[in-house]
Amino acid sequence: MTVERDEFGFDAPAPLGHPGRAGLPAGHTTGPNVGERLPDFELPDANGRTVRFHEDRADCKTVLLFYRSAVW
Amino acid sequence: MRDSYSKFEAHGIKLYAISYDDEKTLREFADAQSIPYPLLSDIDSEVIENYGILNTEVSKDDAFLHGIPFPGAYVTDANGVVVAKFFHDTYKKRDSAETFIDAAVGNIHQHADAPSAEGGQPELKITAFVHGGSGSIRQGIIRKLVVRFDLADGLHIYSRPVPDGMVATELKVSGPVGFIAQEIVWPKPQLLDTEFTDKDLYVWSGTTDIVIPFYADGDLVSETRPLDVEEINIELSIRYQACTSTECLLPRTETLHLTLNTDVIDVPKLKMHLGHGQRESQYDSTPALRRLIWRKAKQNPLGLPKFVWKSIKLEWAARRRGA
Repeated sequence: MTVERDEFGFDAPAPLGHPGRAGLPAGHTTGPNVGERLPDFELPDANGRTVRFHEDRADCKTVLLFYRSAVW
Repeated sequence: MRDSYSKFEAHGIKLYAISYDDEKTLREFADAQSIPYPLLSDIDSEVIENYGILNTEVSKDDAFLHGIPFPGAYVTDANGVVVAKFFHDTYKKRDSAETFIDAAVGNIHQHADAPSAEGGQPELKITAFVHGGSGSIRQGIIRKLVVRFDLADGLHIYSRPVPDGMVATELKVSGPVGFIAQEIVWPKPQLLDTEFTDKDLYVWSGTTDIVIPFYADGDLVSETRPLDVEEINIELSIRYQACTSTECLLPRTETLHLTLNTDVIDVPKLKMHLGHGQRESQYDSTPALRRLIWRKAKQNPLGLPKFVWKSIKLEWAARRRGA
């Protein structure tokens, strides 16, 4: 694939405008805000164990990371 | 994140990472990369959508790309209440693990292996150190340059605004082309208790950390070409005036120099690769990619040909631009 530099000065091996390079539009909201409790959820982990978020973190400070993919 | 995981543990901070990948993919990835924290599988992007961070710039017709979030992170206190969150205008900008730890803990730990430089005078020590990862500079990965003042009891330095004749603390950092310093993050100053002036003066005393976040763009470090240079030099200029409640020292300007290693990420030999890629290439995600394409194609059979056609057109347009 073609390498192109974006308006932020970053290179990626994909043409500009490719949906895989889509960033956060200005003014778009980014979910729960500072001061709000994170919504609870239930998801399986890599070993098939069901993780209930607030129960699993057991009153610990927590970092919850959303990333695009482990695949590409 | 993986390389810094022991620091999360040392501070009693839990770490979870969510993506739309299937469990098998996450298992293979976690095994190959020795990921020690839970990777959660939000296969239908329900949590991503519920949180309001589904990447709406990716359409349903963008085949297997649909369902990804705007990447980012939330840091919570022990009650699960957000104390800080980190989202950026482009997925290329990413925070160092240490930034999350700082947000959770509420202060900045200097690590022995990070590049640093010292200045100051008696009773006033200045340490400038790089914070985040090993302190190396990579495309889009945001590190911090921390300027720490250790002021002896009774001494303070000034925040803006100051009356004529006094000097407020100022920092300037410069580096090679492609070294991008972001806006300085000043700590909250204290109102000075003094009878000298009836104007309000705001000061810092004790240990004071001033932070300059920075990263490299493609001019300096790119993920699509080998490193041009192994290291870079940055120059930090610090102007300040220290006073006690009865007298002031002369204003000073100090210049400190730091050397940072540049760092590039090995990306897997995949045709489809748009991100930072994996830190090492032990993980061959080709079978996982096939599975992902198939899973999404079943949900929207026309998406794949549409996406392929769109990609071809974008590729042609890029070649016409001479990329």
